[in-house]
Amino acid sequence: MRLGKNRRITRWLIVLALFALVAASCSSDDGGSEDLTPVKLQLQWFTQAQFAGYFAAVDQGFYEDVGLDVEILEGGVDIVPATVLDSGAADFAISWVPRGLVPREEGLNITNIAQVFQRSATLQVSFADLGIGGVGDLAGRTVGNWGFGNEFELLAGLRSAGLDPASDVELVQQQFDMLALISGDIDAAQAMIYNEYAQVLETVNPDTGELYQPSDLAIIDWNDVGTAMLQDAIWADADKLESDDAYRETAVKFVEASIRGWAFCRDEFDKCAEVVLAAGPTLGESHQRWQLNEINNLIWPSPQGAGTMDTALWDQTVTIATSEGILNAAPTDGAYVSDIVAEALANLTADGVDVTGSDWSPKTIELNEGGE
Amino acid sequence: MIIKALRGFAPALVFGIGGLLLWELALFIIQPEGFVLPAPSAILIAFFDDFQEILTASKNTGFIVVTGLVGGVALGVAWALLVSRFRIANETLTPLAISLNAIPIIALAPIFNAWYGLLSPVSNQAIVVILVFFPIFINTTKGLTEVDATEIELMRSYAASSWQITKTVRIPNAMPFFFTALKIASSLAVIGAIVAEYFGGRQDALGPLIVQNAGLTRYTEAWAAVLAGSLMGILLYLVSGAFERFSMPWRTAAETAGA
Repeated sequence: MRLGKNRRITRWLIVLALFALVAASCSSDDGGSEDLTPVKLQLQWFTQAQFAGYFAAVDQGFYEDVGLDVEILEGGVDIVPATVLDSGAADFAISWVPRGLVPREEGLNITNIAQVFQRSATLQVSFADLGIGGVGDLAGRTVGNWGFGNEFELLAGLRSAGLDPASDVELVQQQFDMLALISGDIDAAQAMIYNEYAQVLETVNPDTGELYQPSDLAIIDWNDVGTAMLQDAIWADADKLESDDAYRETAVKFVEASIRGWAFCRDEFDKCAEVVLAAGPTLGESHQRWQLNEINNLIWPSPQGAGTMDTALWDQTVTIATSEGILNAAPTDGAYVSDIVAEALANLTADGVDVTGSDWSPKTIELNEGGE
Repeated sequence: MIIKALRGFAPALVFGIGGLLLWELALFIIQPEGFVLPAPSAILIAFFDDFQEILTASKNTGFIVVTGLVGGVALGVAWALLVSRFRIANETLTPLAISLNAIPIIALAPIFNAWYGLLSPVSNQAIVVILVFFPIFINTTKGLTEVDATEIELMRSYAASSWQITKTVRIPNAMPFFFTALKIASSLAVIGAIVAEYFGGRQDALGPLIVQNAGLTRYTEAWAAVLAGSLMGILLYLVSGAFERFSMPWRTAAETAGA
């Protein structure tokens, strides 16, 4: 029987389609090398050298090597990493320990899987001629802080010196810059040694025409006062860790590659600084180099391996949090877990990566005006 | 008389309490995994738990609100009187007022902090003044200028001076417009003061209280501070209404007669 023309064409089309289908299903057998697990990391703040390790891990392909395709989400003033993590909009988040513990107490089930920064970096900075040598000298002064969970070390420090934060000092809401300190509005301003402190040193002193020098400033370091609290750590979704094996595996890989990134930033300082600059931070080259150097100083040396929890400092953090009323009670078990970072470190050590950085020493970085 | 007043409030009360009960019930039933919208009961508990802190904060913010409101009203009314009287003023001041109104607070707040100092109340009061000024100015001007022509002609026939015309015709005509604007301005004043506080200054005020608690995911405490702000706005609205009734007895009489 002679088929109508239309029916013949349809027949051929069907044959062609079937052929294409078979061909497609055959070609997928190439090992799935493009099958990377997508991962989102929520940073605690804007892009800067504070997060160099993660940018380096992306740039150097460390995440790709363990099968992860990591997207880094920049933080900001109104972005709360804990809520982004808990809502599922990110798979991991960087957050200070108190800023992770408070939401955890409010019901967000998140957990600290790697304590990256071993020490606190918060300072209270004032001009040396005001004579604020120690915490006790803050009495009667205007003391700036950023709030949002950044002020706890200051409040505990004031109390440890016998001062009442509500009446013995004038607490001022500080913007995220040092303009109020420089203009004299604030006597003692809050600063991170790796960021705002450097911003003062990048400003020209109108009296001398040169940049401000460290000798022009007096600093109070909460590590010395004894009221320091743990800061940048990697947080994960605790419910998912328990229920989803794939997520736990991803967490180990993520921590492993991230620590490899931080080791890269320790060993290849200049290259790492360039990676950060390529990521588009707000402040310039000399500022980022200063910051990277100070961040390295917070991570290395890590005698027990980078990312391992310093239990003494954890206990101190919890004690301050509870006595300051930041937390209603000590966190329940599971606020931090050690198994994931231990596994990651074992993998790295087996691969010959130096995870303690015992030979590392800080550099001297010269700052330029405006951080350029 | 009390029963009459209550009958006036009754629908609002029922609607309000009903809404709150619905909110409470919905959360109870749904039990969302979040915490972003706490139950009214939890907010009330937090309000009383933190009462001292909220009270101090409200006093500090309230001071800015009231002083800014008074300043803005004075400025707006003065400007309106000028504009309604002198045509030159109208041609220069009105466009200026419109441009001032167009500048967003978010741009002005840090500038005022830099000009007047972080800790000076003036920087926040200035924000409130700017926000309050415009509705007062526009509405009062309208009231002063849109007067029945025959009334003006009558006054002219009596050889009344400009000021006498203003006093006896324009101002009474403008009062309803003014009070409408005042009610709007009082809530704007609260919003302006709170938002201005986000940009730095003292920490024992409602703005920081709301924003810092929210930043720590302490939403119940944040809502409690928001509640304090709302109560302040409502209080100002009621006070404006009382002023209105007091200063325009002829209108109140007409209203009750009609009802």
